[in-house]
Amino acid sequence: MIDSESTKNLSGQAFDRRDFLKVLGFGGTAVALSGCGNTSIEDGKETVVSYVEAKDYVIPGVAVYFNSTCAQCDAGCSITGKIREGRVLKLEGNPESSINRGKLCGLGQASVQHHYNPDRVREPLLRNGDKGQAISWEKAYELINEKLQGAKGEEVAFITGDVSGHQKVLLTNYIDSLGSKNHFVYEAVAPAVVRAGNLKSYGVEMPRYRIDKAKVVLSFGADFLGTWISPVHFAQQYAAFRKGVDGQRGVLIQAESKMTLTGANADRWLAVRPGTEGILALGIINALGIATGDVAELVKDYDRARVSRDTGVEPSNIDKIAAILRLRSPSLILAGSAAEGYVHGMQNADAINLLNHVLGNVGKTIEAPVSVPFPQLTQTKGNTASLKKLNDDLAAGKYKVLFNIATNPVYTAPASYKYGDSMAKAGFKVAFAHYLDETALQADLVLPLDSEMEDWGTHVPEYLADTAQINIQQPLMERLHANTRGMGDILLTLVKQRKPEEYKAFDDYYGYLRYAMLQNKAALGGSGDDDVFWNDTLSKGIVKLSGASGALSAKAAVEGLKLPQPEEADKQYPLRLIPSVTSNLRDGRHTNQPWIQESPDPLTTIVWDSWVEVHPKKALELGIVEGDIVKVTSKTGSVNVQVYVFPGIHPEAVSIPMGRGHEAMGRYAKGYGVNPFGIMDAVFEGSTGELAMHETRVNIAKTGQRVIVVKDEGPAGGKQMGRRVALSRSTDQVDLSKEV
Amino acid sequence: MSVTNLLNNWAAVRHFHPIDDKPHDPYKWAMAIDLDACIGCNACAVACYAENNLPVVGREKFQHGQAMHWMRIERYWNEDSREFPDQGAEFLPMMCQQCEAAPCETVCPVGATNHTQDGLNSQIYNRCIGSRYCSANCPYKVRYFNWYDYPTTDNVWPAEMNYQLNPDVTVRGKGVMEKCTFCVQRLRAAEVTAKGEGRIVREGEVQTACQQSCPTNAISFGNLVDPESRVYKQWKAQQVDLAKDEQEKDKREGGTDLRGYRIFEDLRPYPSVMYLERVRESAV
Repeated sequence: MIDSESTKNLSGQAFDRRDFLKVLGFGGTAVALSGCGNTSIEDGKETVVSYVEAKDYVIPGVAVYFNSTCAQCDAGCSITGKIREGRVLKLEGNPESSINRGKLCGLGQASVQHHYNPDRVREPLLRNGDKGQAISWEKAYELINEKLQGAKGEEVAFITGDVSGHQKVLLTNYIDSLGSKNHFVYEAVAPAVVRAGNLKSYGVEMPRYRIDKAKVVLSFGADFLGTWISPVHFAQQYAAFRKGVDGQRGVLIQAESKMTLTGANADRWLAVRPGTEGILALGIINALGIATGDVAELVKDYDRARVSRDTGVEPSNIDKIAAILRLRSPSLILAGSAAEGYVHGMQNADAINLLNHVLGNVGKTIEAPVSVPFPQLTQTKGNTASLKKLNDDLAAGKYKVLFNIATNPVYTAPASYKYGDSMAKAGFKVAFAHYLDETALQADLVLPLDSEMEDWGTHVPEYLADTAQINIQQPLMERLHANTRGMGDILLTLVKQRKPEEYKAFDDYYGYLRYAMLQNKAALGGSGDDDVFWNDTLSKGIVKLSGASGALSAKAAVEGLKLPQPEEADKQYPLRLIPSVTSNLRDGRHTNQPWIQESPDPLTTIVWDSWVEVHPKKALELGIVEGDIVKVTSKTGSVNVQVYVFPGIHPEAVSIPMGRGHEAMGRYAKGYGVNPFGIMDAVFEGSTGELAMHETRVNIAKTGQRVIVVKDEGPAGGKQMGRRVALSRSTDQVDLSKEV
Repeated sequence: MSVTNLLNNWAAVRHFHPIDDKPHDPYKWAMAIDLDACIGCNACAVACYAENNLPVVGREKFQHGQAMHWMRIERYWNEDSREFPDQGAEFLPMMCQQCEAAPCETVCPVGATNHTQDGLNSQIYNRCIGSRYCSANCPYKVRYFNWYDYPTTDNVWPAEMNYQLNPDVTVRGKGVMEKCTFCVQRLRAAEVTAKGEGRIVREGEVQTACQQSCPTNAISFGNLVDPESRVYKQWKAQQVDLAKDEQEKDKREGGTDLRGYRIFEDLRPYPSVMYLERVRESAV
């Protein structure tokens, strides 16, 4: 490839036509041309590379494609990058991956804007008062070594997001070499309660869900099309589910308090009173009338009248759902994040999973996961309980050195943690970062990371589809900035400080990765020449493994299942706050990618700002209209935010999306919208200790200000003004079996 | 092209539908979008930004209606005064419908927007003078005007971000109109390759950026005059005829159980995009 300096020269400047011809035509004779004019090229200030001597893989005007792995979320979609003249231009899905099968979501598409982001950190920065002073990497490593000398193993802590593959191996070895046991794996938006519930109900944390095999899907707040676990994969299953068997289209019923993208695609969307999802599930079991023994005993009090009163779902709807579940089998019942964001979240999940047992779906639409033959490479699973523990420890002054690896807890921790203050108590804080985000700004040393398109790595996603696979991440182009480093390279250097003998054979992480993969060549399905195997692996971007799949436990976990009665509304804080996870913003780590900011929220079509969703009935009661700035107050704090009157929300709840309201990070993120984490109460799920995200109660008050909501929908809102544009009909009016 | 030349040779410049003397041979690019498969996730719209060098205009300009999204997802509610939208939302991906008798083409004073032989509604950027008549006359409101010179506007493509620009697609300057092209750069590349090999473009050989990213395969795209193409089969199965302003199946008494339709067909733009109606289960 062309070296990065000349790539910049060729592509980064505004060419005029003359310059362009010169570059193409007289590239090799730049010296002879100097003095003919005063453009920068002719002055000899820039390097001109002749295309006659193009490097390997570069044919001017012809793209080459390299396979890698998307790192925007943890689903682990495989990508194919289009590269021209040494620049990555666009990403597509890699058709060979059984996870995303050639498809890629908008978030994944936007990762090129992460790579090319103008606000990336470019130099190692050492705190000097309020400023960051650029230092060399040698100095940075020296400093880390020095600080670690003065700290015992138990005084060193690491906080990371989900991590898998060989980076995880190196990280674990480094943490071990320090004698530390304090690795906190934190994900602000993680299906941690889902995992715990699954383990109890099915014997595994993450079974394979087969939406494509189900005839009816009843989802309790699982936004599997937008944000849940592996959305691109589930969206493909959903497409097959809708096509159905013999033209009988799959039926989707979604029960939740705030409409998600998945809810917006449901045949029947049920507005459930917040927190009563479990009651509805038991009510449906009762209405099914097929349960026996313990289960029948458990649900006997959940008759339609009571369930309807508690949940707000009409009795006729409960009957209809029970009828269709009885009639069409197999079905699939999903317990999603929305059902679990309560103190009794686990009970909700248990009740919902019980439905799968009653309906006999376990083993049919819920399958055992594929196991990965290399357990050391599998993903460590992040949760929010880890942050609570870390915060308590930090506040107690337990840590002298804190490594923060690409997470942003200062932004995502509930305000009541006062995480920033806790973090300040650690003597020396190192942040490995792409941006100067809220957390990096509080660090003593900031180490700039390569983007995912410049770095090597392997990833093993938590949710695997058909087979076990190791996803390869490889550079799609040369490093944009000379002084960023890959996470693997940094870890290797650090671990060399501790165990120089063990790692001396490896010059860099690439060498380590290649060695580690070749060591296991046979187990990875390779044979023959090392180079052939390695090149083949890189060119495919995926190593498919044959892993046996485990077994599911067939027995329902009824014991200890007891759902609380819905609480009476609090007088001072009458509304529930639902901090919603949107498919483009998620936990806010991608907010500085402008395509993401300008990509309208699918349901409200709002861009570049936050909003609070209020049901029309509640809005009328409170006398507020769209665009009113209201003060949303919880016990913890308050935010001022614009109102969007939204029909897809329970009147007792209001919803603010996560991901905006950054105070730092970059030009596209800072100062847009509000951060709901800032008003979230610290309430925890009873059995897992996860942050109960839906337990915050708020009130809203008008401030008297009003703004025009910046959104894509027109003045008519969602109405079609007499002319139907988007048409819809019911299954009895259509014959799907004839379709192509 | 001078105005005099243009006026004298108007018939050669402007081709009305139907075009018997110049049939679609060998290509007529067309699309079918299944609204029952579309989940409204916006992947297509972002893919379009990436492929076609669309500028991100920022909050203020977005508020002024100056967003440049060639592909947008329209979201409709159909709750008919019920308390909740209990059948979900209706999502509709909307982009240039590449009309066969495009209302935008007839009003362009300089012939900057034309019909191509392979059935695209083309936009010639360096002929466009920015009268914006085309946008005013477009019933779908899918034409986007460059009110600003985005390449030199702050924070649209700041240093490094410009490296992402697709060299196959022009970066448009101030004062020109633009719109969805059905990824014409991909079509031309495929057509040229196929011509070099003495054949026509095969089904599946070329995809638009939106189609390629769509996780549910809601978008199909291809050559409507190629009986092997999925688009041809879909249009045929749905009994939607490109050259009609009202389909035979819709005239039938008692309606039809086919769900293919075109938006604003009765305005006679003869759009090249067929939509398949969303379906909702009657049993729940």
